[in-house]
Amino acid sequence: MSASSVPPTSAPSTAVPAVQVSGLRKSFRVAGKTVEAVSGIDLTVAAGEIFGLLGPNGAGKTTTLRILTTLLPADAGEARVAGEDVRRAAALVRRRIGYVGQLGGADRGATGREDLMLTGRLYGLSAADAGRRCAELADVFDLGALLDRAVRTYSGGQRRRLEVALGIMHRPVVLFLDEPTTGLDPQNRANLWDQLRQLRDGGTTIVLTTHYLDEADQLCDRVSIVDHGRVVALGTPDELKRRYSADTVTVTPEAAPDLLEAVARELASAPGITRAVAEAGPGGQASIRLTVSDATRAMAALFDALAVRGIPTRAASVAQPTLDDVFLRETGRSLRDAGPAAAAGVAAWAGVAA
Amino acid sequence: MTAFTVQTGLFFRRKLLETLRQPVWLITGLITPLLYLALFEPLLRSLAGGPGFPAGHVLDVFVPGVMVLIAFGAGMGAGWPVIWELDSGVIERLRVTPASRLALLLGTVLRDIALFTVPGVVVIAIGTAFGYHLHWGGLLLLFLLLALLTAACSAASSALGLILRQIGSLAAVVTGVQLPLTLLAGILLPLSLGPAWLRVLGHVNPMYYAVQAARSLSGGSVANATVGVGFLVMGTATALTLWWGTRAYQRAMV
Repeated sequence: MSASSVPPTSAPSTAVPAVQVSGLRKSFRVAGKTVEAVSGIDLTVAAGEIFGLLGPNGAGKTTTLRILTTLLPADAGEARVAGEDVRRAAALVRRRIGYVGQLGGADRGATGREDLMLTGRLYGLSAADAGRRCAELADVFDLGALLDRAVRTYSGGQRRRLEVALGIMHRPVVLFLDEPTTGLDPQNRANLWDQLRQLRDGGTTIVLTTHYLDEADQLCDRVSIVDHGRVVALGTPDELKRRYSADTVTVTPEAAPDLLEAVARELASAPGITRAVAEAGPGGQASIRLTVSDATRAMAALFDALAVRGIPTRAASVAQPTLDDVFLRETGRSLRDAGPAAAAGVAAWAGVAA
Repeated sequence: MTAFTVQTGLFFRRKLLETLRQPVWLITGLITPLLYLALFEPLLRSLAGGPGFPAGHVLDVFVPGVMVLIAFGAGMGAGWPVIWELDSGVIERLRVTPASRLALLLGTVLRDIALFTVPGVVVIAIGTAFGYHLHWGGLLLLFLLLALLTAACSAASSALGLILRQIGSLAAVVTGVQLPLTLLAGILLPLSLGPAWLRVLGHVNPMYYAVQAARSLSGGSVANATVGVGFLVMGTATALTLWWGTRAYQRAMV
């Protein structure tokens, strides 16, 4: 087909979403009880972004990823990856995606080179092409000196680098990673983030799961917060934080509590401030706590109000919202608290879909 | 070459390397059948010529039985590494590649056939030195028949590993079926020595037909119903277990 035969209105291939999911459901039978791991997930991942599924253990992130990577059939709903239906065109989807599972999947007894070569050849590369690609990836992931050693002898960070290299051996359109940085030390974690960003900049779409707030915040272009098998919030990290919570300003002036209450009442209607309360702090030290939509204007109003009354300020702080605030707001509990309880739930049916 | 044959070759090579890295298995695989020959054959010698015992040299009766044991053992070992591969995510990773699930299974099956063939040749060679009568044509068919038995055991063991997912459960099942399957096949002692009910039970055991056909082939009798039935039963068992193992790979989950 010549280029001119393509109608001008047709979208370029990059406009086809990398992942399109609607009404996805999956349950498991565990000890005679049905547990719904995914209960109606809808999401769209644009081509070329790093998309994060953030949620506590047992939220349904891994099950969702397994459905998208053709490992598990969904009970209901539709999922298209790289333009193809994961159920009806599983073979096509498999050619276009890469997957780095939680367990990693490197063959411990084999050498890194054997693992990479086997993977390349399974995707149809010739031995020569696989060899070239292997050398290229060894360079990118700093694996050169390790390639001919058994994977068993690698450190955790080295093995993870090999596993990511295995996942992109065939230059997939979409790369899925299940908790890629769990168990990595801060330096290896930062390195992996850099490598994933470079992949994204090279045009690869990346979908990852994480239960780390900072990872979702700093690495992901867009985040969906998943809880109990549902998407409870979706957007860029900044959007989510702005939409679902606001900055908090706390000042500790030197003044009597009743005077501060009057100031707080006045500030409650000031521009940029959504809520103002006077709080008694420890040791009788009162402070004013403002929930603000616009920190700059709120600060101005606050210091004006204090200056007019000649009240000196002892301390002031501004706290930015975190994704945990978003999670708290959507689910009623903190992501940090959600971990252990949810993990216990997972342990009960770990055999099926942890 | 099609993608399927390339993949089968790649997986075969991978499994072969896995075995060569653990020479302990190779050594045990060779020593166990030789121990059978050295320790069991003297016991049988006193039975030879007695009622119910087939005519001919003791080794002519015993060697085909040992060959069946080697094939059974080579195949049944397939399930253990499968569980390690499940636990380390190797199978999950391979399942996301376009690799054929049958090719994945066949890699192991072909390796196990090699694991049967090498000690099999050694046993025949040593047996011949001590009085076993060689019949070349029958011997070739014997290796073919027992390659099918190895394949069936290997595919079944892989399937069991993928389904049971626990070393302990697999060990329980494998040791549980090992005794009735081997005893009721007349491998070490011909079933003709036993009472009628034992011989009847033997007829529901697919391995019984493999052993009967193996003895016939080993004796140089190639074109008869026993051999035909042996190939038919082993061919069917191989086809069914390959189907079962492929299905298990399609659904394997940690």
